[in-house]
Amino acid sequence: MSFAVGLVAVVVFALLAPALQLTARARAWSFGPVTLLAIAAVVSHGLGVTLGIFVVPQFQYWDAASIFGFCVMAYVFAFGAVYKSVSLDILLGLVDRPGRRAPLSEIAETQVPGLFQGRIGNLVDGGLVEPVGSHFVATAAGRTMAGHVGRLRRAFGIGDTSLYDFSD
Amino acid sequence: MNMLPGPAQAAAIGLSIAFPLLLLCYARIAATGGSGRRFRLGCVSIIALYAIACIALPGQRHLDDVLGGLLLLGTALMLCYILFSLLAWGFTLTLLTALVQAERPLTLEQWAEAYMQGGDLGAFTHNRLKLLVGAGMVIAAGNRLAPTAKGVAVAHLVKLVRLSTGLG
Repeated sequence: MSFAVGLVAVVVFALLAPALQLTARARAWSFGPVTLLAIAAVVSHGLGVTLGIFVVPQFQYWDAASIFGFCVMAYVFAFGAVYKSVSLDILLGLVDRPGRRAPLSEIAETQVPGLFQGRIGNLVDGGLVEPVGSHFVATAAGRTMAGHVGRLRRAFGIGDTSLYDFSD
Repeated sequence: MNMLPGPAQAAAIGLSIAFPLLLLCYARIAATGGSGRRFRLGCVSIIALYAIACIALPGQRHLDDVLGGLLLLGTALMLCYILFSLLAWGFTLTLLTALVQAERPLTLEQWAEAYMQGGDLGAFTHNRLKLLVGAGMVIAAGNRLAPTAKGVAVAHLVKLVRLSTGLG
């Protein structure tokens, strides 16, 4: 029964999360998509636990939390995969073209530079990078974040290219 | 309400906390390979340890306890993968670290070159396309690219996920 309560909370999350994303865009809220997912998860988990306490006589918190955590993380995983994936953006660009074909040069010279500029825009909007004339420079916040990322990459033995290693 | 996890669930919580520490240890062993392979090895190790814990823990096992533990472990592995993949293959984060490592203001072209460590965006495009081609989602015929039936299906799935998660 506690698992069922966890599933009810998942349903609440699956309804609340997209509703928050759509409302945030419509009303130009300053919250980022990830913050909105976190808010939806906290609210739905809280509602689930409250429901469990009042409805299930022997409510097992970890049974409910396990299925809730798993389903919400699977949602976040899928969300993250489609949110800003360069590979999927290239695939969608191909599928949406008339004839569903494109020269490789057009993707390399038009679409990918567009994605590159879009990400630079995100860094500028996030206050991590600032444009200085025709140049770009990292802000203090950007340098701090890059320092943290570099330390974590070194600790976990991760390279700093972000390219896929197909020999892996 | 019972806030205490069952024995298997407690083991899963402990292993979830130990997972990043295990990845840190594996990073110091060259034989564990690249970051992707090391992560997979970490997942297999943790799941094997969970199976051993379920067998070795004293007392009778209950299905809800074991299932709850498995779901908790799955939650932790997915969360770690999301964070690990951001560090290893995150496009935007690597753009930021490349700019900071350059230690001078960069134009858009210089930034792209610094990001690719001497290469250009064409090499980046090829890297991402290799993933799509390797996964059987895109085929290259001469100098033109086209999505396969699988690629079209994945593109439709991506659109559905974007729509249902409120990303539009």
